[in-house]
Amino acid sequence: MKGRSRFVLGAAVIGLPLVLALLGPLFAGEPGPRAVSFTLGDGHWLGTDFVGRDVWQQVLHGGRPVVVTALAATALAYLVSLPLGLISALTHRSWLEELLMRPLDVLLAVPSLLLILLVASVFEPGAVGLALLVALANIPDAARIVRAAAAEAASRPAVEALRMQGETWWRIAFGHVGRAILRTLAADAGIRLTGVLYLVATAAFLGVGVAPDAADWAVMVDRNRTGLFVQPWAVVVPALLIVTLTTGSNLLFDAALDRRSGSTRRAGNPRRPGDNRRNGEKVRQS
Amino acid sequence: MSGLRSFVVRRLLLGGAQTVAVVLLVFALTEALPGDAAVALAGDQPDPARIAAIREAMHLDRPAHERLLGWAAGLAHGDFGTSLTSGRPVTTYIEDGFGPTLLLATTTVTLLIPLGVGLGVLAARHEGRLVDRLVSSVTLGVYAVPEFALGVLLVTVFALRLGWLPPTAVGYGTDLLGHPAALVLPVLVLLSRPVCSLSRLVRAGMVDALNSPYVAQARRYGIPGARVRYGHALPNAVAPAAQQLARTVDWLLCGVIVVEALFVIPGLGTVLMNAVAERDVPVVQGLAVVFGVLTVVLNLGADLVAHRFAPRAGVAA
Repeated sequence: MKGRSRFVLGAAVIGLPLVLALLGPLFAGEPGPRAVSFTLGDGHWLGTDFVGRDVWQQVLHGGRPVVVTALAATALAYLVSLPLGLISALTHRSWLEELLMRPLDVLLAVPSLLLILLVASVFEPGAVGLALLVALANIPDAARIVRAAAAEAASRPAVEALRMQGETWWRIAFGHVGRAILRTLAADAGIRLTGVLYLVATAAFLGVGVAPDAADWAVMVDRNRTGLFVQPWAVVVPALLIVTLTTGSNLLFDAALDRRSGSTRRAGNPRRPGDNRRNGEKVRQS
Repeated sequence: MSGLRSFVVRRLLLGGAQTVAVVLLVFALTEALPGDAAVALAGDQPDPARIAAIREAMHLDRPAHERLLGWAAGLAHGDFGTSLTSGRPVTTYIEDGFGPTLLLATTTVTLLIPLGVGLGVLAARHEGRLVDRLVSSVTLGVYAVPEFALGVLLVTVFALRLGWLPPTAVGYGTDLLGHPAALVLPVLVLLSRPVCSLSRLVRAGMVDALNSPYVAQARRYGIPGARVRYGHALPNAVAPAAQQLARTVDWLLCGVIVVEALFVIPGLGTVLMNAVAERDVPVVQGLAVVFGVLTVVLNLGADLVAHRFAPRAGVAA
């Protein structure tokens, strides 16, 4: 029950920004003529921004890049870390495992935002580049989790039996182990998406991967800051939307995780492979 | 004992490899530039004099391995090269920005530990009740909020509406200690995420510890509650959190860059952002090495400390 109420709370908090982000562009309509910068009223519901565009319209357009880039970066991170983690968990050659995982340990040492800024100083990444960079920053951690979960699943008797029956490596890796770790991955993906949202928004705020006048909530916060004293709405509304988006996604995924693992109390580190799997069957029926 | 020693040796080796990798990665970046690096870096002002100056400053006429060796040898002697835009040594940039960043970081960490542990213990003592639910929900919610969004909202409320605090540190220069009011909001924003993660970990550890057989046994002996809580349960709850503290170094670093940009504090983060905007590669490289090596060293230290606290936890190495 408690888990359910938190689930509802999370869904309620994330609802508005998510709907705005996904459906906003459909309702935005054609951009009107540019007015004077940082004015209030005069037909502009939330006033105008630093170049005189309607803030409400920018808000309607500005959520999609944040959400879409974050989703793409999360998917990309798994696209690389899933095979990496599975191969290094299932291989019997320890040199191969070392070869795949050790470079990631090293990459883990570089703070993610620093990595993004480093590349941004040399190239000028667009939205795709930003998604790639954020994915790259997430690969080491994601691959470690996949490996840990898969190694645990691969040591089960069922896998041994499959191996003795002469099943192919592919069937074992993707048919059995891959399916067994799905729940752990789903839990991790939720947490990762929240972290990715944070990173994407922060990078956009610092001007990485976005045009200086882009319709993007984070860019709006940055660019309209100069007019904070005259026209606070151009900053406060997108900032509030980013806060509710990230807070809501964290509350939602945490509640979902609690329901999955069937316990109301969760230790600090949610990535315990065994926990989610043990209750996996129960959840599937419900 | 041999287990401890081999762990320390392995962890030190990993730290060394990470340091080397950071240096290589940072260097590889200029190699990755498409075409002629000097032309690419000149960007909007491609006049021949500037291109020649960049080529000269970065020794682009020499082969890559020679440049790498020269640069790495310079790093070892504290020579980070010279800026492309101003011609000043990179070390002067680092010296200029070091003070404010160090002040921000030390203030944050000093407040972080008592606040995080205190909130965690408070929530654990009232497990399941209103206080706990409140603390847990708020820490969970704030945990993922980007610093810039939170910071801008705090500025709007406390500087704009209420007028209690200055909105930015503009005009105070590097003398932030003389104007503590200007430090309140930046430190508050920097604290937001690490406090949440730390207090959640301490709460979880403390709840486990308070429900453990040894605490029940201590209670049966009639040992006072405070002593059981703070003398026995807390040390066990803090051990896993110690390692997480090192991970927050990454966050603090991201946070410092954002907070300095937001509150216009002339620290290392601002220097870095300016250099990124001007494509001043030697300055970016120098700062990246400083930040990267700092992260490696702090993580190394935290892992060694955590291993000392809780040798059973099996710190990853």
